[in-house]
Amino acid sequence: MRAYVFTDKALERYAGQFVWLAIDTEKASNAAFLAKYPIHVWPTLLVVNPKNDSVVLRYAGGATVPQLSKLLDESEKTYRSKTLSSADSLLASADKLSNEEKYGEAAKAYEQAIAKAPKKWVHFGRSAELAIFSLMMANENAHCTQLALDLYPRLAGTVSGANVASGGLSCATELKPDDPKRAAALETLEKATREALMDKSIPLSGDDRSGLYDSLVSARETAKDDAGAAKLRSEWIAYLEGEAAKAKTAEQRAVYDPHRLSLYIMLKTPEKAIPMLEQSAKDFPNDYNPPSRLALAYKAMGRFDDALAASDRALAKAYGPRKITILRARYDIYIAKGDKEMAKKTLEETIRYAKSLPREQVSKAMIDSLEKRLKEAS
Amino acid sequence: MRRSTLLLLTALTLAPLARAKEVLPFIDDDYSKAVAHAKTKNVPIFVEAWAPW
Repeated sequence: MRAYVFTDKALERYAGQFVWLAIDTEKASNAAFLAKYPIHVWPTLLVVNPKNDSVVLRYAGGATVPQLSKLLDESEKTYRSKTLSSADSLLASADKLSNEEKYGEAAKAYEQAIAKAPKKWVHFGRSAELAIFSLMMANENAHCTQLALDLYPRLAGTVSGANVASGGLSCATELKPDDPKRAAALETLEKATREALMDKSIPLSGDDRSGLYDSLVSARETAKDDAGAAKLRSEWIAYLEGEAAKAKTAEQRAVYDPHRLSLYIMLKTPEKAIPMLEQSAKDFPNDYNPPSRLALAYKAMGRFDDALAASDRALAKAYGPRKITILRARYDIYIAKGDKEMAKKTLEETIRYAKSLPREQVSKAMIDSLEKRLKEAS
Repeated sequence: MRRSTLLLLTALTLAPLARAKEVLPFIDDDYSKAVAHAKTKNVPIFVEAWAPW
């Protein structure tokens, strides 16, 4: 959003209507904020009432300029309104439940809000997306699939419709193979996701479209259609390379680096990621991402010493929970290289570092899983 | 937004960028300051919770 959205002059009119706050969730100094507002999706957009710290609006994921304008208008209205309609107050309680990570209950409240919604309700799209997202987080795949099937026809041709279709498709791929509704649901939602992907009039961001490809590839894999999945992957990488080529700034181009890297590794052509990542390393000399991604690319190429050198450069710049990910990747490099001794030392260092972080930034489950791995390695 | 996409999404926000070109006056990493400003102006706070991934 920093590369494409917050720089857009169209948002200037909102400048005085809100106080604008950016929270880097990796910084230990933001632990108190995270205790109050847990964040599990990046970015997460929140609108907060400063008088009582309540959440006026919560949105998981990035937004394009038109999406953000809509969210801002919506939340302004909710913030100012003295009395809320029943759908609006159900939505507010759903947002609150979601903030408290009670996803099963949040999903129910979003659905109730949708059921009570007046015609042309401004919050309909967002509520539908969040109902699907909450069901996904609660692992309620059958319900999620059915709700997506029910809601999609009312949202076809919109950003929310695209996200509902691809979220529902993702839930459908998780259904048990003997589920009688599975085949038909997969077919319908795959068609809907494809339709959204092809509709150039829907103002989806590059990463939204990339997410749709991701769901579609996964659906083809579920169907054991290797040729279909391979065809989609090549379409996907061509799309990402095209978007990166069209980027007007280095920031915009680098938005596509992680997607392209994952795909190059998946397609067994990790060497293709090297020039793009070296360019980003030059463009953003203080950023740990280009060297940490170079480490992954070199590892996939079997160039372990180059991977370790890149990992050194990344660790020198990294901070916060992300450093754990870089250290874990370093452990994997040593394992791939066959150096068990250094792998173990790296794991011990990772555990020490994870334990030094505020508990809002690192879960107990994460530390437990690292310790379990260390035990197995000993 | 399938699960692995959520992981992918986490990778999207880019490292500390110069804020010079932004049209919105963001406060960085200071919730108390934002609350104080918002109370004075009687406006809500917009928060972008991000990570430099």
